[in-house]
Amino acid sequence: MKKYWAIFKLQLANGLAYPGEFIGRSLLILPFMWIFFQLWRVTFEASGGAEINGLTLRSTLWYLVIAEVIELSRPRVANTISEAVKDGSIAYILSKPYNFLWYHYSSSLADTIFRALLNLVLGGGVAWLLVGPPPSLWGLLAVLPLLMGAWALNYCIAALIGLLAFWVEDTSAFQWIYQKLAFILGGLLIPLDFYPAWLRSIADVLPFSAVTYAPARLFVEPSLNGFLAALGQQALWLLVFAGGLGLLYRRSVTVLTVNGG
Amino acid sequence: MAAITVRELRKTFQTKHKAAGLRGSFRSLFRPQYATVEAVRGISFEMEPGELLGFIGPNGAGKSTTIKMLTGILHPTAGEADVLGYCPWRERQKLAHHIGTVFGQRPQLWYHLPAMDTFTLFGKIYDLDDAETRRRIAFLAEAFEIQDLLDTPVRKLSLGQRMRCEVAASLLHRPRLLLLDEPSIGLDVVAKQHIRDAIRTMSREEGVGVLLTSHDAGDLEALCHRVIIVHHGQIVYQDKVSNLKRKFLTRKTVEVRYAEEVAKDFHLEGMQTLKTGRYGVKLEFDTQRTPADAVLARLSAAGTLVDITISDPPLEEVIARIYESAASEVDGQ
Amino acid sequence: MSHLKFLLAVWKANLQSAMEYRVSFLAQMFGMIANNAIYFLIWVIFFDRFKDVRGWGLGDMYITFGIAASAVGLVSILFGNTFSLGDIITRGRLDYYLSLPRPVLLHTISSRMISSGMGDFIYGFLSYAVSGSFSWDGLLRFVLAVMLAAVVFGAFLILVQSLTFWIGSTNNLVQLATNAMVTFAIYPITLFDRMAKLILFTVIPAALIGTVPAEFTRQFTWQTLALLLGGAAVFLALAIVVFQLGLRRYESGSAIQIEV
Repeated sequence: MKKYWAIFKLQLANGLAYPGEFIGRSLLILPFMWIFFQLWRVTFEASGGAEINGLTLRSTLWYLVIAEVIELSRPRVANTISEAVKDGSIAYILSKPYNFLWYHYSSSLADTIFRALLNLVLGGGVAWLLVGPPPSLWGLLAVLPLLMGAWALNYCIAALIGLLAFWVEDTSAFQWIYQKLAFILGGLLIPLDFYPAWLRSIADVLPFSAVTYAPARLFVEPSLNGFLAALGQQALWLLVFAGGLGLLYRRSVTVLTVNGG
Repeated sequence: MAAITVRELRKTFQTKHKAAGLRGSFRSLFRPQYATVEAVRGISFEMEPGELLGFIGPNGAGKSTTIKMLTGILHPTAGEADVLGYCPWRERQKLAHHIGTVFGQRPQLWYHLPAMDTFTLFGKIYDLDDAETRRRIAFLAEAFEIQDLLDTPVRKLSLGQRMRCEVAASLLHRPRLLLLDEPSIGLDVVAKQHIRDAIRTMSREEGVGVLLTSHDAGDLEALCHRVIIVHHGQIVYQDKVSNLKRKFLTRKTVEVRYAEEVAKDFHLEGMQTLKTGRYGVKLEFDTQRTPADAVLARLSAAGTLVDITISDPPLEEVIARIYESAASEVDGQ
Repeated sequence: MSHLKFLLAVWKANLQSAMEYRVSFLAQMFGMIANNAIYFLIWVIFFDRFKDVRGWGLGDMYITFGIAASAVGLVSILFGNTFSLGDIITRGRLDYYLSLPRPVLLHTISSRMISSGMGDFIYGFLSYAVSGSFSWDGLLRFVLAVMLAAVVFGAFLILVQSLTFWIGSTNNLVQLATNAMVTFAIYPITLFDRMAKLILFTVIPAALIGTVPAEFTRQFTWQTLALLLGGAAVFLALAIVVFQLGLRRYESGSAIQIEV
């Protein structure tokens, strides 16, 4: 475990060496937040009430802040792992005294946390200016462990897609489709609360809502029950995907060692 | 009329200086510091049509910068140049029709496609008609022995094979001048030989002038009539390669093996002992002070000769010595 | 015109290069279509629930999204290197194009085809077809609108990336600008007040690759046509001028790369 902590720290230091780079990339959340505000302000006006399905404009925008923070900072390893498979460098890592998957997890986590922090500050700042403070600052406390869970879950799925490179020439199609499904079924642009009931129930049983919707929704309406439910949801899916990932990885290693890379 | 005339070409760069660390980044943002680099400090030379000219010098000598100015990619700070009747930086596109370039580290061939496809594309780029292009490709393929390689994707070729295709591509449009920047970098001995032979043959058959930069003296020896040695942005020496060797090669090395064991303090008059083994000796002598027949006489008198090898010091050594004397001149200023 | 023959040859080489990886090419094409379709479902859900945004409805969305997708696709297919221009400059790869007897900018931007662009391009047409306002003369207007929008989009990319000549690596800026462009282009224009609209026509010309061409597709008016043509001309001219200025700077050596 100690070596992965070291890898994590190294990536963090690496990122700090080029602060300009990180800040530059995090600016993306600003136009997004602004345009979300325009869209929902007009929509709430048109609907006539202060609330839609139990959410106010303020909580909707803060919901979107968390949702975007999760989306923009998620570990982008699908590509990294695909490339490692394609150019054969994965074979070299197998000879090193650390696990390929844990290695990429720890190094991408540094990136993720850094970006999340910046996105939160910038996105949250804009939201604060536009609609005022979040409904409850306790939400942040509740959300933090769920963020970790969301990233871990995201990592597993992304790594799974990356490993598909062993069998598929191009994984980009899978990456795009996963991302867009996560948009819809995770409630990235529209809170799931606004969805028609039948779609809502589908989204609830899929992993995407555990990644994006659960933490974001909890943030604007923190409750112990909600927290436990979300945690449980994430834990369940994590079990499924981490397990799946482990199996796929073992299968990949077999393919690699049999075919010689 | 000369193919290339260069007069007092100068190039000075301003590079931004950034100190390490975060504080350095901030400082560089608000108060950037510049360092002046004089890459080329007044170079003048001429090249005849069809000549094989070598430009040699250590890294940072200004070779690549000079080539860039001669192809019009870079504008000089001062000076003039005339390449095939054009001013390179003012008439770059026109000049491009008559020159071929191969930059050793910047490939021209499309990576994922067979070389043939790049050749065909070049035909269109240089406005050649299809029949002409095909004829030319066939001719070059034979000259460079790449007929079997043309249909293989470039990414699957070895570096040596790729370079041959690169040089062939640069000759597609029958340029009058070929500029090669470090063409043999990364190649093994056999590949280097191949490329040099091909270039030499092409130059002879088509009258293409070749200006070659390198820091591999072997390129010079094999390929060039004349060499210009640059150091610190200035021309330090220019002459025919044969003259270079004759003037500076006053020392020769001799290795001999005797039937009898050699004494530890083996010494011959007018010669310097470099190394002694059990049966062999390595000596050096100055041809200007000790004539060759005297050397041979003394060597055979010293014992029963079993084997003898006499060699010139490599051109590299010669050039290194020229750099040193140039450097000491510069330091002395 | 020999330039046209030259362009066709370059595009042919691009296609051949992409075809070397046939599976990849097809995967990216269909993948992008699926990508866009799934993304668009969000808007279907939105408009199903909320009917419209100040008069802007799902039908408008289909057309606007379609134009933006096809425009981006067209640029990706024919001038794919507009996305990598900044990188090409910082890595000194421009020297290759400079040493050849063809216009540098044109040669550089046309030397790459992005396979996923094919998917974007096709999707746009599909989107228009199901928009509910499809007509055959509308299709002709759609095609013209896509071409002009593509010019604006490509020119915008060239403009932003030409800044590399002065400020070095612009990767983040380009990503930011491109994302903002595309996002603002597909959101309902009715959301924005006058000030914002001004920005969307000038600094980040999203309106010129979304709303205005969509308007033109719905109905021919001289104003929208003039706006599209004018916008395309202005941005193209600006892009070329800025690039040439930057190129001059590059040739004088005061830009980034120095290799002695």
